[in-house]
Amino acid sequence: MKTVAALAAPNAGYSYAFLDEFAKRELRRRTLKAIAIPGYQVPYASRELPIARGWGTGGLQVTLSLVGPSDVVKVIDQGADDSVNAANLRRFIARMSGARTTTDALAATIVQSRHRIPEERLREHQALVLQVPDPEPLRGVEHDISKAREMHGEADYGLLWLSLYEQLVRYRRVTLGASYPALVHKRYVMSPSPIPRWDVPKLHQARHLTLLSAGREKRLYAVPPYTDVRPLEFDDVPYRVENQRDWTCFRTGLRHKFMNEIPQPGGGSTYEISDTGFVEKVLKQTSGVSVPSATLRGSSKTPEVSTGATYYDDEGRFYLDGYLR
Amino acid sequence: MYVASRGGETAIQNAEQLYRDLIGQFDVATVRAIQRTMPYLIDRVMGEGSLYAPELAALALAQSGGDLYEAVLMLRAFRSTQPRLAYAQPVDAQRMFTVRRISAAFKDIPGGQVLGPTLDYSHRILDLAVLNAADQTTETRRHGATLATTDNPKSEIENRKFPLVADWQRDAGLLPHLPEHACPDAAEIPDVTREPLLFPAPRAMRLQSLSRADTGGVLALGYANMRGYGSVHPTVNEVRLGYADVEITHPITGEPFSIGRVRVSQAEVVTTFKGSDDRPQLALGFCATVGWNEVKTIAGSMLDMAMDLPEPHPSHTEEYVMYHTDPVESSGFCIHYKLPHYVTFGSDLDAMRGVGEAKKVKGLGDYYGDGSHLAAGMPGTYSENTPLPNGERLGEGASS
Repeated sequence: MKTVAALAAPNAGYSYAFLDEFAKRELRRRTLKAIAIPGYQVPYASRELPIARGWGTGGLQVTLSLVGPSDVVKVIDQGADDSVNAANLRRFIARMSGARTTTDALAATIVQSRHRIPEERLREHQALVLQVPDPEPLRGVEHDISKAREMHGEADYGLLWLSLYEQLVRYRRVTLGASYPALVHKRYVMSPSPIPRWDVPKLHQARHLTLLSAGREKRLYAVPPYTDVRPLEFDDVPYRVENQRDWTCFRTGLRHKFMNEIPQPGGGSTYEISDTGFVEKVLKQTSGVSVPSATLRGSSKTPEVSTGATYYDDEGRFYLDGYLR
Repeated sequence: MYVASRGGETAIQNAEQLYRDLIGQFDVATVRAIQRTMPYLIDRVMGEGSLYAPELAALALAQSGGDLYEAVLMLRAFRSTQPRLAYAQPVDAQRMFTVRRISAAFKDIPGGQVLGPTLDYSHRILDLAVLNAADQTTETRRHGATLATTDNPKSEIENRKFPLVADWQRDAGLLPHLPEHACPDAAEIPDVTREPLLFPAPRAMRLQSLSRADTGGVLALGYANMRGYGSVHPTVNEVRLGYADVEITHPITGEPFSIGRVRVSQAEVVTTFKGSDDRPQLALGFCATVGWNEVKTIAGSMLDMAMDLPEPHPSHTEEYVMYHTDPVESSGFCIHYKLPHYVTFGSDLDAMRGVGEAKKVKGLGDYYGDGSHLAAGMPGTYSENTPLPNGERLGEGASS
């Protein structure tokens, strides 16, 4: 005989891809709205996930609402596939969705990333999901989000421009590091998430879809394929990416890719390319040595041996002529 | 090295194993013991986890080795996957089984002051005899465990229904009357866990946020208000602890029935209203939560009132309070700073190093055009000879 206690016992099972269907429906509707209004921050309820809040739960919710059993997922943190947080998110997504995983940016259908965009040019039918700690580019000049929302509504970005100008006056250059604000589709200023300035141009007229989601702040926004994304720059003070032109990757010997600086004992630094998936492919291509972590658990597809076209060429030139002045 | 060059997953598994080894084995008996002996801890986890499930809260505490934020996160993450099957009837404080109810506003109140279970007037002396006694079942433990941990209070408690102090004040014209309209359909009430949070937030969302807020966070902001960062000087109108029946409508018969009983607490504070009204009245601040948590409900009800002021202190605006007191969000973001940040840090370093370089480069040419517009001074802005905020002059820096 069934008892009330038995009927009321907590269900041990979870929905496909963890989120229940109501949550998925909400996220998908918000995502569609975000795509329809490029750069506009769409508020959403944001469910708690069994991952610490602020550790990529915004990106994770979007990924879980997108992922299907036939997807191939790549997860990176600061460019690295093997960072513990990336590994943790990846195994959670794979465990809950049955999706295959990869370290190859071009083999993935969904790339979830914390603070980097891969060096190889992403393609159509790929989605890049960026984890966002603070979606509000106006936070620095207006911390009341109700007022910031009005400012977005009126495209009132004067204070933001003023803050850039003040930096020029005080320091003779724009002192913003990562999270450089960018104007999307000539309408909304967005925070591209704390990607380095090196990565912001990659969003301009990109072939892939970019979804940006902040779990704690409960906002998601999007850059649809082939959309204008312009970092804020004055006509006479052009936008500058990080100056790493003299840095050479100690693992590949390559230059003009985004590098990590690694302090050395006794002073000085060495450098390595931040995009570990790209490095893996380069090493395989040049030495023919197989790299053990290239094929992750559940991955049946061997990563492409040859690297794809990159956003910046070997001379450091961006692939869209004239975009970076 | 936590960006392991290979094998991030192995590192995760090993780290978790070390943690498990540290907190040791636990089984269902441990879980039951936690549930039986630590009702206030369970209540705090359930309140902040916004899920009334004493057994699961005890399990979360056992699993997390007593890390409160971890336990709350586990409960929340479980809650977020659960479907909403039904909406309960509102809990009527007058009808609930009140075990403790006090008012600081009046010496005596209709129905009387009821101290109930509390340590308020006890000496907080460590009972060292417990450590020395062979039989550890002391009087204190036995007594403490019975009333608070059973959800079936003794029948004499059930019969005690207490009127609300606020109702007496309403009848006396000291408080505005409640609106006439009936309680809205529960399904229509905005739900902070299912809908986006926008400001100004509906009052329902504000009270829900306070209800699931971090006790320490609410206390810190509430205490700042009490100490003087706010213009209210509230009086505790009523603090109430009790057991409430969760009544839902039977899906077939349509009759309301109780599906269980939960511990709840609520607090009301009042202050003199400084409105434009001819007749001055009291204003009410309110906070309620599942579980018994007097600190949170008192501090929360003061914040509720502070948020209503026309110009609250910046730390007592609705946005400030609601965003910064969520235990899962604030603790999660705090510990996220342990994650690698070398890309963002590298980008910031680049910007910082560039400042030095830009100052060395004559005319800024390498970075930002020839800089002549800056050196010459723009109309209405810093000119070459105007001191910069850092004390230098633009002309000096650009040419040195």
